[in-house]
Amino acid sequence: MSKAWFGLLGIGLLIGLFTALTVVVRGLGVYNLNDVTFWAMPMAGYLFFALTAAGLTLLSSLPSIFGLKEYYPFAKRAALLAFAALLVGIMCKGLDLGPMSTLLNTVWIGLSPNPASPIWWMAVLYGFYLTFVLIKFYFINKGEWHTTRSWTGGLLALGLMIMAYTALSVVFGTADARPAFFGHFTALYFAVTALTSGMAAIVLASFVQTAIRGGMSHQEEHAFDKVAKIFAVMLAIALFVFILRAIIGYTSLQVEFQGFRYIAGTGIYQMELWLGLIIPLILMVVPAIRKTAAGKVVASVLALVGMFAGRLVMLLSAQVMPIGAMAETRPEIVTYTPSFFEWGTIILALSLCLMIYSLGVKYLNLEATPEH
Amino acid sequence: MPRYAMVIDLQRCGGCGACITGCKNENNLPEGVRWSNKMTETLGTFPNVRYYYRPTLCNHCENAPCVRGCPTRALHKVEGGITAHDPNKCIGCRYCLVNCPYGVINYTWNKPHREWENDDAVIPDCTMSPREQARALDVPNWPLYNPDPDYNYQAIRPTGVVEKCHFCRHRVVNGELPWCVEVCPCDARIFGDLDDPDSLVNRLLGLFRAEKLRPELGTEPRVFYVREFCPCVYEAGKGMI
Repeated sequence: MSKAWFGLLGIGLLIGLFTALTVVVRGLGVYNLNDVTFWAMPMAGYLFFALTAAGLTLLSSLPSIFGLKEYYPFAKRAALLAFAALLVGIMCKGLDLGPMSTLLNTVWIGLSPNPASPIWWMAVLYGFYLTFVLIKFYFINKGEWHTTRSWTGGLLALGLMIMAYTALSVVFGTADARPAFFGHFTALYFAVTALTSGMAAIVLASFVQTAIRGGMSHQEEHAFDKVAKIFAVMLAIALFVFILRAIIGYTSLQVEFQGFRYIAGTGIYQMELWLGLIIPLILMVVPAIRKTAAGKVVASVLALVGMFAGRLVMLLSAQVMPIGAMAETRPEIVTYTPSFFEWGTIILALSLCLMIYSLGVKYLNLEATPEH
Repeated sequence: MPRYAMVIDLQRCGGCGACITGCKNENNLPEGVRWSNKMTETLGTFPNVRYYYRPTLCNHCENAPCVRGCPTRALHKVEGGITAHDPNKCIGCRYCLVNCPYGVINYTWNKPHREWENDDAVIPDCTMSPREQARALDVPNWPLYNPDPDYNYQAIRPTGVVEKCHFCRHRVVNGELPWCVEVCPCDARIFGDLDDPDSLVNRLLGLFRAEKLRPELGTEPRVFYVREFCPCVYEAGKGMI
């Protein structure tokens, strides 16, 4: 792997560290957030990475837990990527809480728990999930593919992923005051888009690894084609869910959906639709394009960019229309533009995720399978 | 154990905003933060229009969604059903802002009252800078600092946590009325115990059909609105086709 690549990641990490330190010292005032649009770019980063990790965790579990042995070539890579994505996702959420004094208050999650709170469940389950994803990778990296403890670790990682994902869906699903989060429909939207972004991430990561390490074995190539097909199927299902959401959003008589209808007219919504779904789907359903590496790479990159935009769409739809007393002295719909520091949070997350993966590619033999 | 509630008589309310400024002074609210606020509307179509004013504050809901959703119990119920907040437990997740249907919870994005650290004089070589003014008055935080809320809250909440109305709990537990009630020049805010049949709030709720904000959500607000200020008259008729 080239020094230029690591140099680029190093620059990203430096920008990100500057951002993180500024946030930790000065607080969230450096973001372009306010009491109306209070969950935006950093929260979108959290959703994007955490849900991508969910898709990757499922993929890495296919051979060991579900017995789909043809996916072994992806298992180790997906496990490391899931850990990296989850770690930076949680970091994004941390940088969305407040300065150091606020971050220290997180000890109260353990000392003063509120089991009635979906956020409490989300925090606890994601903590355990991160731990077990790491444990799972640790065993795979040791070459323990079929030991009881490796299988148990993998099963727990999968189970915790499902529970953490459920808690995340409930966080939005129970927000009665904000119907434009789409209530429990969000669970379906999250499930489908999590799998789609997970597939996109593994397709892209596999190609990058192949480009660096040279050609694929026959077994790897076969598995790669299968994953690309699943990716295409997931894109089609995600497009269906996207259309369903649009129908709900456009036909609802609830006034709060004006926020969704406003966002649907903006560029980020078009990014989610065209970059995240339609163009990658076209690329992946045409066999001549799907078989090419360039087709897969372009489709996966576009899908990931579109999925990130989709997280922002989902968050802003329920916030751009001020509610209650917050509407006083404000326009009917407020606008939002992320600040440099919000971009910095995402740059930090992306750089750290790619750095962990790149180091894995370099030192941890990510294409290892039980046969080797 | 009392069940505190507030009745706001909209016929008495003159829309002067004394409750808003009084609350800001009593609770040392930073710039941009309003625990006591208002919702205004222009009703009708020109030339038949009217201005409508409704004061707002935390509804101290019986089924408070902010309390249910708070992961660390930083938002919690205390004596009299008051929805209180503990800044030392608040992790700044802002899920309460998601859950509150009334838009009455604020997050402290920047250092409170940081404008008093400004060294720029409004008129150079003529007036003092905010920092010089604060120093000249020999006050620890800002010139209007009120230490009273420290009794059972933090007089000034730190950066990075939420804050909200607590029915002036520091006053209520000492037998005093919330400051917004005290400063209202029209006696439009009436505070009392729902469990006391003789309380003025109960008498008013028996006299008038009270309105609660967004009752369909089942939050059971403890702030009630009665009557309406409307000096309007119109000539009786049946309309036309």
